[in-house]
Amino acid sequence: MTIHHRESFLEGLADQLGRPRKTTVEPPAYSVKPQERVLAGASPDELVDVLEKQCEFIHTSFEKATVETLPQTIRAILNGNDVTRVVAAGGPRNQVSGMDQFYDQLRTEGLEVLVWDEQQGREQVTFAEKAGAGIVFSDLTLAESGTVTLFNDRYNGRSISLLPETFIAIIPKSTLVPRMTQAARLIHSQEAKGNPVSSCVSFVTGPSNSADIEMNLIVGVHGPVKAAYIVVGDL
Amino acid sequence: MSIKIGTKTYADRIQDGIDNTFMRQAVSSAQGRFRTGRLSAAEELGDWEEWRTLGSEIRQHTMENLDYYLHQLSEQVEKRGGTVFFAKTAEEANEYVQKIAREKEAKKIVKSKSMVTEEIGLNEALQESGCEVVESDLGEWILQLDEDPPSHIVTPALHKNREQIRKTFVEKKGYTGSDQPEELAAFAREQLRKDFLSADIGVTGCNFAVAESGAVTLVTNEGNARMVTALPDTQISVMGMERIVPTWQDLEVVVSLLTRAAVGQKLTSYITALTGTKLEGEVDGPEDFHLVVVDNGRSKILGTEFQSALHCIRCAACINVCPVYRHVGGHSYGSIYPGPIGAVLTPLLDGYEDHKDLPYASTLCGACTEACPVKIPLHEQLIRHREIIIEREHMGSKAEAVMMKGYAKWASHSAAYKLSTKMAHTALSPWTTDDYIEKGPGPLKGWTDSRDFPAPAKQSFRSWYKQREKRRSNE
Amino acid sequence: MKVSLFITCLCDTLTPDVGKDTVQLLERFGCEVDFPAGQTCCGQPAYNSGYVQESKQAMKQMIRAFESSEYVVGPSGSCVHMMKEYPKVLRDEPKWQARAEELVGKTYELTQFLVEVLDVKDVGSTFKGTATYHPSCHMTRLLGVTDAPRILLDHVKGLEIIDLPLKEDCCGFGGTFAVKNAAVSEQMVHEKAEHIGETKAEYLIGGDMGCLMNMGGRMRRNDQDVKVLHIAQVLNSQ
Repeated sequence: MTIHHRESFLEGLADQLGRPRKTTVEPPAYSVKPQERVLAGASPDELVDVLEKQCEFIHTSFEKATVETLPQTIRAILNGNDVTRVVAAGGPRNQVSGMDQFYDQLRTEGLEVLVWDEQQGREQVTFAEKAGAGIVFSDLTLAESGTVTLFNDRYNGRSISLLPETFIAIIPKSTLVPRMTQAARLIHSQEAKGNPVSSCVSFVTGPSNSADIEMNLIVGVHGPVKAAYIVVGDL
Repeated sequence: MSIKIGTKTYADRIQDGIDNTFMRQAVSSAQGRFRTGRLSAAEELGDWEEWRTLGSEIRQHTMENLDYYLHQLSEQVEKRGGTVFFAKTAEEANEYVQKIAREKEAKKIVKSKSMVTEEIGLNEALQESGCEVVESDLGEWILQLDEDPPSHIVTPALHKNREQIRKTFVEKKGYTGSDQPEELAAFAREQLRKDFLSADIGVTGCNFAVAESGAVTLVTNEGNARMVTALPDTQISVMGMERIVPTWQDLEVVVSLLTRAAVGQKLTSYITALTGTKLEGEVDGPEDFHLVVVDNGRSKILGTEFQSALHCIRCAACINVCPVYRHVGGHSYGSIYPGPIGAVLTPLLDGYEDHKDLPYASTLCGACTEACPVKIPLHEQLIRHREIIIEREHMGSKAEAVMMKGYAKWASHSAAYKLSTKMAHTALSPWTTDDYIEKGPGPLKGWTDSRDFPAPAKQSFRSWYKQREKRRSNE
Repeated sequence: MKVSLFITCLCDTLTPDVGKDTVQLLERFGCEVDFPAGQTCCGQPAYNSGYVQESKQAMKQMIRAFESSEYVVGPSGSCVHMMKEYPKVLRDEPKWQARAEELVGKTYELTQFLVEVLDVKDVGSTFKGTATYHPSCHMTRLLGVTDAPRILLDHVKGLEIIDLPLKEDCCGFGGTFAVKNAAVSEQMVHEKAEHIGETKAEYLIGGDMGCLMNMGGRMRRNDQDVKVLHIAQVLNSQ
């Protein structure tokens, strides 16, 4: 049995609410929809600008690149942080973006690069824990808040964006949307079509931080200490 | 721990709070920052009132149909390989988690910040079963090492200064560094990394569950909730039964309200929505997932005039604007839920007997109601609590009851009232010097202990007015 | 226009001058002011302490007292707000509730009445000095009167208003709170008095006698040389 004590529990709630149990509920019509007005009608370029500005507030470096210049942009970030071990998300996008070749190139230069592969198992978590940088592709990018949405899956392990000190997000310009509203709508419509949501949807906004000690902002607590976003115009 | 913390009386707790100068200074500076953050986030968003309306409508709809949405949630979690346990009491919830820990032969359990597990005393229960429990939120970890309860629902260690934290780290963990926040945090990072990687079970709370998909959403800045759910093989999430929204679209609205109202951020660093167990091909994430839905007194609030207290999204905006909290701090409330929402919720969840002073710990200034992102009429609920304490529970003092009876007579008989306005000046004249009373008798004493009281005028307004009317009609 | 003055028990007994200024101010704008002698206290001390049954007796007395009034105007945001709550408090007694509704519809706080009903911005008064203004919580948050007092004060000749730091924070009065939670109230009013001191203003102006009495009493105890005035006194100053 995987659901325990549900019926008596829910009967109790219905009793308190003074009515029989509900088996259907009409979707409510809320009186206002302010979320739909935020950045409504903004062009992709305008969204990039909003994202760039927001990066200043979330302690995140921001770069623009093309598929052609992406390798050198990433290389500069890796060099700047003395990274010698890299863990990266796997999957077909590495081919399209030329990252596969880039990772091969890094290997010939003596860096350790692990591209996430379900066959390799938990060892990868141990590798990620020691890696200097984790590289992922943003699945959806929320301009307003500067948020990278990751649908973690077999190609994109949860550890990649979490354990290394530097978090690098490759942001295809085509993934930019105004805000979380659009991400929520997409997930909702997929659910409705019977395509279940990823086991872990991570909305990541910059590096980890805390203000638990005397309200001082400390950047870099349990998760990454640094974050870098690279918007790729032709992806 | 349970809802109630400590055994001191209300008056003693308040005095402790007032005497704690560091804490008060920390709270007032935190209130300043929170206030600026919240107001500028609201301003930037524009239409804040509209957002509040939407938030309140979502919460209301959800509570009115809570049985339906919890059913839907449990179906979805089951579909995604998880187990759901509905717990009516704290004991039932704890026993279930203990059972899982036994089955897994768990030695170490790592936790992310959760108020509901504080409320039900889960840590103590697990420790009794022989497990090591490690809190991973920086603030919670500090408190755990120091065996101190939280004093704020978002920044639990607000009452501690860096030197106290350093001392705790030195004594409990052999820390040798300075009291610089960065260095303290780096030490915590290093220490807790080991725990994340070696824990058998990860325990989380739940900011919002999403009924339509079975997701449990966690809102953090530190990344600890992601650690807790990515690394151990077993994940147990404990949620108060009201912490649910119908759909993802509802989720994004309440999350937008939460992060802005709590810390003035558009979104926090990590909003993580976790659904069931890891899927085929996934390397990290839990193999086993349990969701524990806790009532523990909440259902008694449903269907009553206090139902909107269940709308609370735990942002602490009411705490951050409360002028009483400002001067007494969180521990004075004697509850893990402090501030205005604590004063409303605590008597509902844990009874009036131990908490009858809390609804009076407010000037009814309404700052809480104004700040609440989901429009809970907090100050009105405090008044209603007072009514229940006096008229249903009969917990008022005899002296006060006599005084109030007298008040009612006085205020409902204009002759009696008029007489008092005539007599007041003379009656209080023995205590009056230079038109002020500096040491008042009876109920005035509380007032004059800290401020002067103006003596009643020689001639009341009504007497002056009457004379004027007479004069006028004679002219 | 016929206006019934709702004096409030505090002004009636402790600060009758505020009432006199209120009457003169209203008369200057052509109001025919009367004073229904049946009025007592709005009921707030009992209501906010949980003694709702006792408070209802006061409320009914007030409803009776102002039954034949055209407008009811009071120099207090807090007491006027209490009146606005009568229908809710009397919800179990439909006849009284209806009478309460009628009272609510014609009741105004003084500055609100001047600005919203009489459409006055400049009352034509002169008052020389520097002052800070305390926007009392019940007036602003509960009654929703935020702009009217400032509009009127900004037009007073010779008056310079200095912003009060953290002006939206409660002064610690809270009716019976000041006595029941005297220790906390003391801390709150102390901080408020410090903020008033920081402005270096000569006067503290407010629209609620309870708050003014609280802050004034503390400043007197502190030997702070700040004079306390109700807004009616400033607006009626020539």
